[in-house]
Amino acid sequence: MGQETVTVERAKAKRELNPVSWLFRKPMNLEKLALAAQRVSGLGMLVYLTFHIFVIGSVASGADVWRSVMSTFSNPFADIGDLLMIAGAAFHAVNGVRVLLLELTPLTGRPARPDYPYKAQSLGTGQRSIIYAAIFMAVLALVIATYYIWGH
Amino acid sequence: MRESTLQLINIAMIMALLLTLPVHFAMQAFLGVGGYTQALAYNTVADRYQTLITITLLTVLLAAASYHGLYGLRRILLEFKSGPTWDRLVSAGTLAAGLVILGWGLRTIVVMGWGI
Repeated sequence: MGQETVTVERAKAKRELNPVSWLFRKPMNLEKLALAAQRVSGLGMLVYLTFHIFVIGSVASGADVWRSVMSTFSNPFADIGDLLMIAGAAFHAVNGVRVLLLELTPLTGRPARPDYPYKAQSLGTGQRSIIYAAIFMAVLALVIATYYIWGH
Repeated sequence: MRESTLQLINIAMIMALLLTLPVHFAMQAFLGVGGYTQALAYNTVADRYQTLITITLLTVLLAAASYHGLYGLRRILLEFKSGPTWDRLVSAGTLAAGLVILGWGLRTIVVMGWGI
């Protein structure tokens, strides 16, 4: 009986520590969503970077190979991939600066007793403003990139 | 290598990315080119590997992006499980991926820049 309880507790702890299930657990706040968006955009850009390095590498094989590769990627889906990458990069950069400031400066809010509804004390006005700035920069980058890719 | 050293290198790479990535994006849109289509023309791309400043920019960007990206992936993967075997597996895997990405990127720079 005791062994079963320990096993169940361990399984529960493992589930709670898992970074994916952690995301969907309550309480939900802006800081948590920003971290999730930071990781999703970061992983997306890593995938893009890997493809990018190998696609750009085809330039070393000559003009004909380059033009052939570029014609393969000359479609709206590839353009949407570029746009998402640029918006993701803008968000990731600004939100990343927020995280750096959080680690290296006293931007973290003052510690306080965790009373209901358990608002994140670290999420002060300064941080919240930077998260909104990150969203704004992502939208702005998306608009500018759309202009250069499709409207220019 | 100590975790704090890896983190310090990561911060240096973030700074390098904040400086070089906006320039790289601008070079695909308006900096020295007439637009996105021209930026992707073979001659434009090939010319970027002929001047020292753009070669330096691309090399720094390649090193910084691959380090920062794979360091971030490593940190996410280390949150899924713990233990020395998993640690070693994740560290070795991300290091290998980094060497492949860096190696292939540097190959392009060397072949285009020096015609080897």
